[in-house]
Amino acid sequence: MENLMVRIHNIENDEITDREMNKKELEEYTNNQNLLITNKEKEKSALAAKQSAQAKLAALGLTEEEVAAIVGN
Amino acid sequence: MSKQTYTTGQVLTSAQMTQLQANDYNQTVSAKVASYTLVASDAGTRITMSNASATTITVNTSLFTAGDTLIITNIGAGVCTITAGTATVSTGGSLALAQYDSGTLYFTSTGVSIWNGVNPGDITGVTAGTGLTGGGTSGTVSLAIDSTVATLTGTQTLTNKTLTSPALTTPTISTLTTNGDLVYGTGSGALSRLGIGSSAQILTVASGIPSWATPSAGGGMTLLSTTNLTGAQTISITGISQSYKALTLYIENFSSTVDSSMSMFFNNDTTLTNYLEYMMRNRAPSTSADFVDQTSFLTGYGLDATTSYGFSYVTIPNYTSTNYKIYQVWSVHTGESLEFAQTYNWTAYNGTSAISEINIKSGTGNWDSGTVKIYGVN
Repeated sequence: MENLMVRIHNIENDEITDREMNKKELEEYTNNQNLLITNKEKEKSALAAKQSAQAKLAALGLTEEEVAAIVGN
Repeated sequence: MSKQTYTTGQVLTSAQMTQLQANDYNQTVSAKVASYTLVASDAGTRITMSNASATTITVNTSLFTAGDTLIITNIGAGVCTITAGTATVSTGGSLALAQYDSGTLYFTSTGVSIWNGVNPGDITGVTAGTGLTGGGTSGTVSLAIDSTVATLTGTQTLTNKTLTSPALTTPTISTLTTNGDLVYGTGSGALSRLGIGSSAQILTVASGIPSWATPSAGGGMTLLSTTNLTGAQTISITGISQSYKALTLYIENFSSTVDSSMSMFFNNDTTLTNYLEYMMRNRAPSTSADFVDQTSFLTGYGLDATTSYGFSYVTIPNYTSTNYKIYQVWSVHTGESLEFAQTYNWTAYNGTSAISEINIKSGTGNWDSGTVKIYGVN
């Protein structure tokens, strides 16, 4: 993976400085990555559960409108 | 001695001879003090008139013969006028004799005479020209400056003159030296110069006199910076002016090197508890919209560089406050049908410092495209 960088643009004098992330920033970045992955998995899990519920309700004979009324689209 | 008619054999006495001689050297004078009508014996004599008021001397016909002459002298202050009675009196000058004027009345026939009075010169009248009033053809003539003069030709210099309601055509004032200069009153009737201001300056009043001033910024947006989102995972924009009432950000066409998202912080403050964020996201058409209590400060989703680009519009009113700073973010992205197409974040930042730095972070990898424009808003 490429080196993660921080670019600082000082708009008072229009100077641009590039540096690599320091240790603390890398830790934050990693934590955020983990959080993103967790959130995404939760999203996928919630979506799968919703789709399963919709399928089961449809199997019980509910129409699409009735299913939507219960669990949404 | 008056003119005599002698007959043949008449003897001329010595007294008569003496009188004739006296008349030849010292003319016989007939002094008058009131208006008078000439008689035949006046021929060859001098008539004097002395009266403080106007008088006349009347000339009648059938009294004199051709060649008769008499002199008239006005001694008095009143004008004595030679007046044609039944005889004619012609003259090249005036028949009116002022005090001490004299003249000769010469008969060319018994009823025709010529008066040779004072030389009147060749002026027969004085006419008031432009700018003057008065004039006349007799007596004392007066001229005065016409108070209604409207035209003066040629260059004129007027000093300490009062002009009432003047109509000025293309006037020039020597104190106005530069194109665009203005004049204003000083309160004492005098004028002073106000030199032309600079471009876009407006006329205002300072210390009781007019002056030019640069208008304060207001009611508009000023572009403070343009920053490219490339080459780094975090783009920090520092040195943000504190002179505006609000900030507006346009973050356009942004993407990172891998499938990612965007989050935004202030003053490089990543303390999560300093941010209160709530997101509404639309996942249509695959999933209905929902609301998320954000913990990762996402302001955009699904920014795969190869297929998707994001666009965000951010407003931060009262960004110089040291208290809560409420802000909002609208975002859309294109390209990925299963990710969030639109998001709206309403958010507060509880940092105790004014916002002077904005940090825009890619969720994964470095930014590889995008532009951030920051506007100061008044």
